[in-house]
Amino acid sequence: MLCEKCKKNEATFYYHENVNGNEKNYRLCADCANELEKSGELKTWKESVEDPFAGFGKLFTTPFKQMDKLFSGLFGAPALTGGQAKSQKQCSCGMTLRDLLDGGMAGCPDCYTTFEEELEPTVRRIHGRSSHEGRIPAKFRGKMDTKKKIEQLEKERAEAVRLENYEKAAEIRDQLNELRKTLEEGA
Amino acid sequence: MWYGTKGNDSDVAISTRVRIARNLAGYPFGDRLDDAKKKEIIEKIDKAFKGKEWKYTDMSSLTEAQRQSLADRHLISREFAGCPAGTQLIQNKDQDVNVMVLEEDHVRIQSIVPGFDIRSAMEKAEAAEAKLDEACDIAYSEKYGYITHCPTNLGTGIRISVMLHLPAYTRAGGIKALALQLAKLGLTIRGADGEGSDPSGNIYQISNQVTLGVTEDELVERLSNVVGNIIKEERSFHEKAGEEFRSDLRENARRNFGILMFSERISSREITDMYSTLRLAASSGLIKLPQEKLDELLVRSMPSTVEAEHKGVTTPEARDRARAELAREILGESAI
Repeated sequence: MLCEKCKKNEATFYYHENVNGNEKNYRLCADCANELEKSGELKTWKESVEDPFAGFGKLFTTPFKQMDKLFSGLFGAPALTGGQAKSQKQCSCGMTLRDLLDGGMAGCPDCYTTFEEELEPTVRRIHGRSSHEGRIPAKFRGKMDTKKKIEQLEKERAEAVRLENYEKAAEIRDQLNELRKTLEEGA
Repeated sequence: MWYGTKGNDSDVAISTRVRIARNLAGYPFGDRLDDAKKKEIIEKIDKAFKGKEWKYTDMSSLTEAQRQSLADRHLISREFAGCPAGTQLIQNKDQDVNVMVLEEDHVRIQSIVPGFDIRSAMEKAEAAEAKLDEACDIAYSEKYGYITHCPTNLGTGIRISVMLHLPAYTRAGGIKALALQLAKLGLTIRGADGEGSDPSGNIYQISNQVTLGVTEDELVERLSNVVGNIIKEERSFHEKAGEEFRSDLRENARRNFGILMFSERISSREITDMYSTLRLAASSGLIKLPQEKLDELLVRSMPSTVEAEHKGVTTPEARDRARAELAREILGESAI
């Protein structure tokens, strides 16, 4: 879940308020919780902690001092990458960039390709990085190996050309064509 | 079942969970799925989990209490328990691998083991994920890795989460400093019930927030190191406690045990509050109660679980009576 205030980072802080049985809950990221605390809109953590051995449940009960101010912050914040949205762009699932930026959730797997460029800053903000390093599904493993092989052969061909070994270069070119064909067929 | 069984570092660690998010290529997410597409997804995923070891449950066939009880026991997410229409749960016999079909993502595999044991939780979840990978066409991009509904889960789609009981850390006012330190490492601390929940009973979950740009092995290593250190630090607080504090804690624990053994009615709030005192006293060697039994009591005392486990118990008063009996059933043979 994204932070209710900035809608950029994942919400990790939970604030619970109970005024005469009127309960309110807020989910904020560390940055926003900190900011609101500094500005005095939220009671600081320390102030809100009562002796945990006396009443554990009260730990996070942090009534807001200035409710109106907070609300304007919650709903007035620009979502994700903000104003430069090119709202006409649309994914095959019907998702528009505007909807994506407002809601913060993709409509289908293809949204990440359709809006790759626009999503990159958001993804980077969430994860600190924007490209995958982990495991890959079985079906893509062969494809990745082929790609690596192509890169390797391209280097070898350049080297053969540099050494003016044109016969070898032609041989490698044929291999490359073959590999590229399998890659295209796979796609 | 994970609770009631002793795990590694059980003086501080309650459980370790691994959740893997996956989606099928060619299908939209969430509201964009119509009933026909949902059915297709369920059929495709069912093919991955064939055989007698897997049990299928149509979530809408369960009562509200039964669904919430699955979430109380940390087998499924609260969100999944709350939206049963057209969703399915696939569980193995031990119920330590639970596959949520059509949660926020098309599939969320969740494994859970007692104590601090990232390796076993990871192995269980990954074995189930391998079956899915073999049977289905999984949404994947070279850039973003495994594709998920929400961009916060992209990449590995893996969330490792260790549940810890940190009464001393809390009392020392160290949770916030810890939260800020963890954030720098791409990790996060939350209450026991996941996103945005209240950390009652001094129970917290430490998990990775970042899922993209790190390998699975790096995630395991990072969490293992950090959680290992937190456990050591909590333990050192227990060891450093002064005699006066220890004496008070023992007295409180004994009084609480008396309440658990002799009351006719106990509320779930009381259990949560007593749990932390009793567990800390047990971890500090002041009383002899096994921690895993206290964890079992805590989990099975939740209102929905009491209702799901006792036929005809639906009112708060009946639940409180059933809970008092449950406390004696679980802890009755222990001497402190």
